[in-house]
Amino acid sequence: MTETSISLSQPNPALWRYVWKLLRLRGVILISEFRRAKLRRKIGMIFLGLLAIAGLVFAFVLSWLLLRFMRSPELAQFMGNTQPLLESMPTLVISAAFAAILITSFAVLLQALYLAGDMEFLLSAPVPIRAIFITKLLQATLPNFSLILLFGLPVLYGLGASGGYNILYYPLVLIVLALVALATAGLSSLLVMAVVRIFPARRVAEVLGFVVAILSFTCSQSGQFARYANVSQDQATQMLNLATRFNTPWSPLTWAGRGLVDIGEGRWPSGAGLVLLTIVITSGVFALSLATAERLYYSGWASVQISTGKKASARRNGAVQPRVAIAAPLRRLLPADVRGLIAKDWLMLRRDLRNMSQLITPLILGAVYALMLIRSGGQAPAGRGEAPAVFMEIMQNVMVYGNVAISLFVSWSLLSRLAALGFSLEGKNYWMVKIAPISIARLLGAKYLAAFLPTLALGWVFLVIISLVQRASPGTLIFGMLVVLLTIAGTAGLNLAFGVIGANFNWEDPRRVTQGGIGCLGALASFLFLGISLLLFFGPAVLLKMLGGPAAAGEFAGLALGGIVCLIGGFVPLWLVRGRVRCLGED
Amino acid sequence: MLPTSSSPLIATEHLIKRFGQKTAVNDVSFEVRAGEIFGFLGPNGAGKTTTIKMIVGLLQPSAGMVRVAGYDVQSQPLQAKAASGYVPDTPNLYPKLTGRELLRFVGDLYEVDPVQVGRRSEELLKLFDLDQAGDDPIDSYSHGMQQKTALAAALIHDPKVLVLDEPTVGLDPRSARLIKDMLRQMAERGAAVFLSTHILEIAERMCDRIGIINKGELIAVGSMDELRSLGKGETSLEDIFLSLTGGTEYAEVADVLR
Repeated sequence: MTETSISLSQPNPALWRYVWKLLRLRGVILISEFRRAKLRRKIGMIFLGLLAIAGLVFAFVLSWLLLRFMRSPELAQFMGNTQPLLESMPTLVISAAFAAILITSFAVLLQALYLAGDMEFLLSAPVPIRAIFITKLLQATLPNFSLILLFGLPVLYGLGASGGYNILYYPLVLIVLALVALATAGLSSLLVMAVVRIFPARRVAEVLGFVVAILSFTCSQSGQFARYANVSQDQATQMLNLATRFNTPWSPLTWAGRGLVDIGEGRWPSGAGLVLLTIVITSGVFALSLATAERLYYSGWASVQISTGKKASARRNGAVQPRVAIAAPLRRLLPADVRGLIAKDWLMLRRDLRNMSQLITPLILGAVYALMLIRSGGQAPAGRGEAPAVFMEIMQNVMVYGNVAISLFVSWSLLSRLAALGFSLEGKNYWMVKIAPISIARLLGAKYLAAFLPTLALGWVFLVIISLVQRASPGTLIFGMLVVLLTIAGTAGLNLAFGVIGANFNWEDPRRVTQGGIGCLGALASFLFLGISLLLFFGPAVLLKMLGGPAAAGEFAGLALGGIVCLIGGFVPLWLVRGRVRCLGED
Repeated sequence: MLPTSSSPLIATEHLIKRFGQKTAVNDVSFEVRAGEIFGFLGPNGAGKTTTIKMIVGLLQPSAGMVRVAGYDVQSQPLQAKAASGYVPDTPNLYPKLTGRELLRFVGDLYEVDPVQVGRRSEELLKLFDLDQAGDDPIDSYSHGMQQKTALAAALIHDPKVLVLDEPTVGLDPRSARLIKDMLRQMAERGAAVFLSTHILEIAERMCDRIGIINKGELIAVGSMDELRSLGKGETSLEDIFLSLTGGTEYAEVADVLR
């Protein structure tokens, strides 16, 4: 037996003392971070803590409400016999706990094992390797487990109380949930190692962050389309019956749930057998996955990536020319340094998924609002019909330009990332630009174009699609496209100027690029500018229309007025901050 | 030494940098001529990196002047920057670009002909043994590979002046030797090489002249022979350095601990 296997397999009597030490160390770090934080950060952390407590209380109340709903006579009327649904509740809660812990602990363990950077320090310390892994698994499990208890316990204990379950049911619920959580975290650690063997840990974290951000944002926004009032009885019954489908006899999670119900209802042989089986399986899975994870990590298996075919074939094919999405006319028009900067910025934005998740949110928002506008048929909401007729007339005339407003809102959201953070996103790499022989005018021009061109493309695409669906006239479409062009030109300049003033190059994660007060001021200023521009573009047209004059004349006047303001907005702020660009990155 | 010129390619005159009340660099003046490798030594926090940052245009001096290739870095920054290449001690490179893309980007910034950039990129990648990893993103590179990529990026426009801050840190012996040979070749072709290092052996063996900075002030400049004459009979650069920067007391402490 090698030295390694001895250290892994022999039980260490002081194991739990070390686990406690490591957990206490984590606590000391947290307290120390809080103590040394600035007052503003402390207040923020306290606020977040209170918010989390409020969330937990909400979760608790929600669970009680859910239970009351499950026992309500209305539901019984709707579904008929609710007993199978109630009996499948433990299985449902355990399955939900399994899924939630598997997913959340994956992200936490990825961070704890590969990205936190403390594993080498811990492994080189005189601490049993098993204690380190147990601590990491507990770290990954404890917060989510508490949340699951808060959601699940009211339901499970409420079910026991209402069904007159045996007293043994209550502690067993806790034991089973805890063991399921630990076994799941163990499986999750193996999953993390298997994934990181194929893909780099940092890339996995980026993809995970991207998927979670997009999914949660999409889910939150898609609720706007739901029409809960129209749910039929059949649909509700089908939806609730879905819960009973988790009760499949071959699933160990079902054995756990059924065992608990059987114990509760006094069916001792089957109950004891199933609960015992659950305890053996979960403890076994936990112990096995813990030992395997330790071995895989310590032997280096989990740290060495297997090469993928894609990379190998790329190498075989020799030098790959970088694919830079700059159109040929632009290539001829722009100097090489400006072109290089734009191409670099676009490549970085496209490749870093941490950026992409923030860039895609405006698209989702835009799609949601565009669909809502199309669904409304371009009509102003009637409300209760108490609004004055003049107001409704103005609203109706403004709604004609709703497509432009939505396109510009999406563009503004994108610009607040692309232009306002144009310099900050350079981060610690800004030295490469600063030592290069590129003039301030060209540098500002490159940053401006890198933000302006994709935003304009996006704004136009949105506008054209909505206009085509709404069957807008070509004249209105051309007017809208010019408004979008000019407004984005102005807003980009303003945003970029604020980005220069509040540039922050000291960050590790592009999602956490902060600009402090200047960033907020910039967002407010650009939104105000957007409002004023729209007023100037649309005001004359709406006014002339209401007075019975030709709308086209109003649109021309609007273009002249708004256009001048936008061109000033695009140029003057940048001219004002040009001196500051020279000093950027010298802090 | 083949092509040499009498005009200095790097010249600092009474260079001062203050950060609030603290003076990081105080009245530093020196010259580095074409074909010369100049070593810049000093204890931690002596002002080496601050001086280097002022030479390459990363920091604005509080007073004094820096000239690179005859151009004033403050009033003619574009010309001065076009003539120089810089390798920092910590190579922060765009992590999501590949090595090839980074070289192409730097080529664009320096407005080098794209065909030349392509050819030179391949030469440099091959030279630094990065041709296999050239299409991998930089965030997958080791520290040494990133250091070599930064050096390749600094050489893509064939600069007259090369400024390096701790160039051999984190490199394997083969790569360190390659860099030393290349710096010598560059100097022989008429470039000025300015490097800061803590490895005194490298400075002693490679550099034609050495400058020692301590507490922001340049306390000695000259060839090894000239530095020896400044000391109290010390022959090695390490002894001269410790004698000039006041590090000998630490050696005595170490003796006591022994």
